Amino acid sequence: MRALAILSAALLSLAAPLAAQAQPTAQSRFTAAEIERGRYVATAGDCAACHNAPASAPGREGAEMAGGYPIVSPLGSIYSTNITPSRTHGIGAYSEAEFARALRQGIRRDGAPLYPAMPYTSYAGLSDTDVHALYAYFMKGVRPVDRTAPATSLPFPFNIRTSMRAWNALFLKDERVKVDPGHDAKWNRGRYLAETLGHCSTCHSPRGFLMEEKTGSALAGGPLGAWYAPNITSDKISGIGGWSQAEIAQYLATGHVAGKAQAAGDMAEAVTHSFSKLTRSDIDAMAAYIATVPAVRDEGDKQPAYSYGKSGTFEAAIRGGTQPAMAGARLYSGLCAACHGRDGDGSPDGAIPSLHHNSTVGASRTNNLIAVILHGVDRTVGDRHVLMPGFGENSFVQPLSNLQIAELGTFLRQTFGPGDAISEKQVEIARSQSSLSILLLMARTGMVLLALILIGIVAWRLRRGGLRHAKATLA
Amino acid sequence: MREVDFIDGDAAADVVIVGSGVVGALIADQLAGEGHAVLVLEAGPRLNRADVVENWRNFSFERRAGNDFQGPYPQSPHATAPLYWPANDYIHLTGPDAKGFKQGYIRAVGGTTWHWAASCWRHLPVDLKMQSTYGVGRDWPISYDDLEPYYCRAEEAMGVSGPHDPARQSPPERSRPYPSDMVPWGHGDTAFAEVVNPHGYNLVPIPQGRMVKPWKDRPACCGNNNCQPICPIGAMYNGIHSVESAERKGAKVLAESVVYKIDTDDNNRITAVHWYDADKVSHKATGKTFVIACNSVETPRLLLLAANARNPRGIANSSDQVGRNMMDHSGFHCTFLADRPIWLGRGPAQSSCMVGPRDGAFRSEYSANKIILNNISQIHNATKKALAMGLVGEALDTEIRRRAAYGVDLSISLEPLPNPANRLTLSKTRRDGLGLPSPDIAYELGDYARKGYDKACEQLEHIGKLFNADEFHITTDLNANNHIMGAVIMGSDKRDSVVDGDCRAHDHANLWLPGGGAIPSASVVNSTLTMAALGIKAADSISRSLAA
Repeated sequence: MRALAILSAALLSLAAPLAAQAQPTAQSRFTAAEIERGRYVATAGDCAACHNAPASAPGREGAEMAGGYPIVSPLGSIYSTNITPSRTHGIGAYSEAEFARALRQGIRRDGAPLYPAMPYTSYAGLSDTDVHALYAYFMKGVRPVDRTAPATSLPFPFNIRTSMRAWNALFLKDERVKVDPGHDAKWNRGRYLAETLGHCSTCHSPRGFLMEEKTGSALAGGPLGAWYAPNITSDKISGIGGWSQAEIAQYLATGHVAGKAQAAGDMAEAVTHSFSKLTRSDIDAMAAYIATVPAVRDEGDKQPAYSYGKSGTFEAAIRGGTQPAMAGARLYSGLCAACHGRDGDGSPDGAIPSLHHNSTVGASRTNNLIAVILHGVDRTVGDRHVLMPGFGENSFVQPLSNLQIAELGTFLRQTFGPGDAISEKQVEIARSQSSLSILLLMARTGMVLLALILIGIVAWRLRRGGLRHAKATLA
Repeated sequence: MREVDFIDGDAAADVVIVGSGVVGALIADQLAGEGHAVLVLEAGPRLNRADVVENWRNFSFERRAGNDFQGPYPQSPHATAPLYWPANDYIHLTGPDAKGFKQGYIRAVGGTTWHWAASCWRHLPVDLKMQSTYGVGRDWPISYDDLEPYYCRAEEAMGVSGPHDPARQSPPERSRPYPSDMVPWGHGDTAFAEVVNPHGYNLVPIPQGRMVKPWKDRPACCGNNNCQPICPIGAMYNGIHSVESAERKGAKVLAESVVYKIDTDDNNRITAVHWYDADKVSHKATGKTFVIACNSVETPRLLLLAANARNPRGIANSSDQVGRNMMDHSGFHCTFLADRPIWLGRGPAQSSCMVGPRDGAFRSEYSANKIILNNISQIHNATKKALAMGLVGEALDTEIRRRAAYGVDLSISLEPLPNPANRLTLSKTRRDGLGLPSPDIAYELGDYARKGYDKACEQLEHIGKLFNADEFHITTDLNANNHIMGAVIMGSDKRDSVVDGDCRAHDHANLWLPGGGAIPSASVVNSTLTMAALGIKAADSISRSLAA
């Protein structure tokens, strides 16, 4: 969720000076109910995930929607922007129509297009009522903060925006969600939440050549940096068809379903900031809809990810031994067993998950198992903060090498999972990818831009007949 | 941010810190955060948590039952630390209570808080005024009020949970609440409190450097009861956390680097320290300010063996007090079977403690004490006893279960007074792996604490009766508690003390000797939080000095 919004944040920051020159709009025509409704819609859309100032930043405590959330990347720090109603530093000068256009079409107030880091292809489906409520909330429910978030300066090709017009023409469907009369109101509500505000497909749908979401295999899974957003279609083997609706709802509300899966990475953030704060009926509605998403099977899958494994008994085999073959088991014993149990059963109360019957360990793709060892789990629901430490470079428990993670991961796959191995190379690749999906999405966006630029250049060259000229332009 | 310069293996920094335990690490973390170039020289190796956890699990039953907490930690051949299974006699002990001074400390990056129980007690305000209040011991040159803000910062840095209820705080004089409320009590704590508290023993929650919720990058404690010898999940504060934090801020930490020589100039300022690397190649670190924070054994040992022409009795030793006034909370144990199940061993190793006997007018005559309800699982003790009874099969299981449920272990700490005759000196015959003199220590508990032992026994007999105790036993041999204090004692008079209230050496304007060694009065509570507070106070002092 955060990932896509980051790039748009970078763009909105460019809009701020222009916004400052505009005429103020009427701001006193909203009811308290509308503002509160908007607050809820903003939670469902998880605006805060990217746009809240980091609590740790000095002087930024409580700076709701004021931007400045830094993501460190090899391209430089990327900062989210101020979307408070400050007319000088935020979006206070946006009219409701301009606000709606930014949300649904990805067009800034000054007419420049946003990158799809802002999930406007999902938000396009927002109802007029919700857009109005959001506008009410952003104009009246958010405290204006007259502060410019730190500027983001991205190198080429990330600083070119106009080519997004072509992309939008191809892939943006600017239409509201229509009620499907074949389903009840609860299902329709769930679809609306999942497809627009929840923007599930942003991460969970595979993408095509130009990084558009592939509509034919919606929610069939997609890579996200070091993580993999799994197949959440109703397929009983590749997807979550074996989950009950109640389990899907519990997962959304808490990020934790014993014997099935636990949310980490971007999904933990979505649960923390958004889903855990939605009403029970909205969560149930989303679960009702998700459970009906058409099944997509990956033919390589043999059984559901959560169905693998059983209690492992290896304790006696490693005592006193130093055989290299048991290195993974010794790492498990030394660093994991104290919480997950020497047999991988987790804690008796289920608070610490078992590693057998665990989708992260059993999934066909090993991405999430490697990523969770590197980055851990950090999720807060209500007053309950779940933190599994990571074992990456900055681990306060013990930093592990690529080889050690491969050994540990292989031990886990073979003891509690499908039985395959994890290579050092896989860990090396995962380590080079950010724990946040931002880098991959930026790379994808960059590929799109590059492709579009090349198409443009080719066309121009054909018209002008001069390759040399085109090269000069590229430089 | 300034960085440490390395030229041909020699280093130049703003601040050179010898020792990477909790005190050195907190100072490094603060000063690196302020942008100073910080070099930390640690004699011992860098550790892997998993290795230590597995070393412990691979130990024999006897070593586990015997609490061999030193044994699981790998040592550098050039930086020996005491071992007792078997004894390596690294520290040669003499004196009437030599057997009671078998200290355990770790020489490794992160230091001894790898294997502590994370008890984070404060001294009482009156503990800093023992001479003026009770006519015994020494007064500190600073007051509790001077120290209090640093206690708060130390608690914050170490992520301490403690009771928010002032009635359960010892002491209640606090300017800030604990970073988190107390770790909830287990059945044993509650059951014990119900019986003893009506009699004034005041069993209270132990403030401790762990939480039942995540704290920064630390996970929540999940009750492995394995704090000693090591927290297997990193939920308990370890000095290594501050080391790594300092490194992220630019501090440079060199492991297996043994400092053995200290240079001084005409004004007796420290100009450099020399260290041996793992290949015994010597290097030199120059700096503006220097910190020696190697605990109360290795700090005085280094100061003494680094004697030079300008300082023939040793660095910082014009008072002849370096190595003197060695203290520890010399302790003993009381064990019995209660008349009801207590089930020790749920949650952290130390959870509650009786502080009723911590202070009173009696302190003019004899030592105070504190009585910890030792919350280490009783299964090892129960098993030893049940095996000795010759039981087998189901009878053995039943007896182990009964003893694990009903068994009580109380750990009592006394307060020895600073005595210059309790002294660390350099051995004339024994040398370490580098050929440097090993330490000798002479120790006598003293009449004050000896009388306190007798009074504590009366209290324990009473507590035993409250539980209709079976197999009631009080140990007569003292045991060390590894709270090593003294050796570079703090005072306002440079003729009878080594450092001032900022732990700055009287003899050297740019040398700080913070930590347990500076503590002038032991109190009866674990010394780490006080050491950490003194370290942070020293860091402020160093910061001001660098700014001047």
